[in-house]
Amino acid sequence: MDYDPMVMDTEASGPTVKITEAGANHVDFELQNVDLAFANSLRRVVLAEIPTMAIDLVQVEENTSVLADEFLSHRLGLIPLNSKNIDDVVYTRDCDCEDYCELCSVTLSLHAKCTSDDIMKVYARDLVVDAQRANQYVGNPVITDPEGLGTVICKLRKGQELRMRCIAKKGIAKEHAKWAPTSAVGFEYDPHNKLRHTELWFEQDPVKEWPMSKYAEWEEPPQEGEPFDFDAVPERFYFEVESAGNLEPDAIIQQGIKVLQQKLAAVIRDLTDGEGETNGINGGGYDAPRSPDLNMNGQWQDAGYTTPYGNGGQANTWSNAGAATPYGATPYGQNGANGW
Amino acid sequence: MPPKKKTPAADPVASQEEDVSMAEAPPEEPTEDVIGDDANPAILGVDEQPIRVLAGSSEKAASYEFAKEDHTLGNALRYIIMKNPDVEFCGYSIPHPSEAVMNVRIQTYEGLALDALEKGLTDLMDLCDVIAEKFVAAREDYTSEMQS
Repeated sequence: MDYDPMVMDTEASGPTVKITEAGANHVDFELQNVDLAFANSLRRVVLAEIPTMAIDLVQVEENTSVLADEFLSHRLGLIPLNSKNIDDVVYTRDCDCEDYCELCSVTLSLHAKCTSDDIMKVYARDLVVDAQRANQYVGNPVITDPEGLGTVICKLRKGQELRMRCIAKKGIAKEHAKWAPTSAVGFEYDPHNKLRHTELWFEQDPVKEWPMSKYAEWEEPPQEGEPFDFDAVPERFYFEVESAGNLEPDAIIQQGIKVLQQKLAAVIRDLTDGEGETNGINGGGYDAPRSPDLNMNGQWQDAGYTTPYGNGGQANTWSNAGAATPYGATPYGQNGANGW
Repeated sequence: MPPKKKTPAADPVASQEEDVSMAEAPPEEPTEDVIGDDANPAILGVDEQPIRVLAGSSEKAASYEFAKEDHTLGNALRYIIMKNPDVEFCGYSIPHPSEAVMNVRIQTYEGLALDALEKGLTDLMDLCDVIAEKFVAAREDYTSEMQS
């Protein structure tokens, strides 16, 4: 091939990142000079594949509240837990322990009983985190409100009691949304819709009816009567990452890129490991799915008209010369020789 | 026709004998733990092969089947492999949404399809490194800018 890929490549300047806004719970940034596929991969990985901690098992010892055990377990699972330095925690399925242990889980206990005449509220701060855990951050309930209460788990009336042991494990949002590190990931490109990747529904005039994106002023608006550019590709991507509280927004992005790299590393490792083995990539794919006629010397195993009951299909019981019935000679005359 | 085998279902007496009350029933066989859960879209099963070559592949044109992968890897990988000038064609597909399987097809002008796949993966890895580096730098710039 006698072309230089760099000449036709639009990303010769290399990718750039620009932070537009950042706070304790969110980071907005602009990713430039990457392709749509990569930007979308980053969005997907941030949304669904970053490991966090969440309550996964609940041992109910006492529950006299009005809420059912499974209802409370679900609520407990959804409480965001601090997941800082989660790399110290291993997945339970990779752990050497029998069931779960302090290396792959964090135990939180909840014990609350209402003794007053007033309705008592049980909050996330009432969860007591066991000291036996991978590091000092992991498993702490996320509490961000000024009163320091956290989310409400349940309300109790006089005499009602809750006593349960919750086991928090490491997991990803692809398995269950409770492990999601973000509450939302904004992803936007081409605010003027110059590329026509979307079609704006309208009653009279889309320009009047659709409010402009806040990123619209960052990019050149289309000129009046500008011809459609068939070679244009999206280049600037606007991300708005909002943390659920369990990870810092910066950590989410860095973890996201790391998870993507781990994915790639796993594939590369599998590719190189497989070399030379029968089932490997060079072994002709012994296990690979194949169409039924393969490996049969180019022929079908049978011609298609034989039955599994033997007698070769041709010499069937009904085609004996002389047309004798299976009952031998009939009482109506000579065998084979028609009496009529 | 060969004689039919007697099956418990076809024998009403046998099935009645096997019928026991709930309390007397033997405990259920313990089910396998999460380990090796082939149905879980997020975790690779224990004996599950992560990548394999599909039948009909040659050196320069091959299809690879990735288990438990999706558009996250597929689209980015497809794009980066297509950037390789030795590659004539690269495409990916998810044959059925209910199956956590992703196929990548690579056809090359020169060189092995496998080499193109490996190059694509390392290129994507390098791209990730650059983005991570740029993000950290941009974040530091932003904080120092805010402080001043």
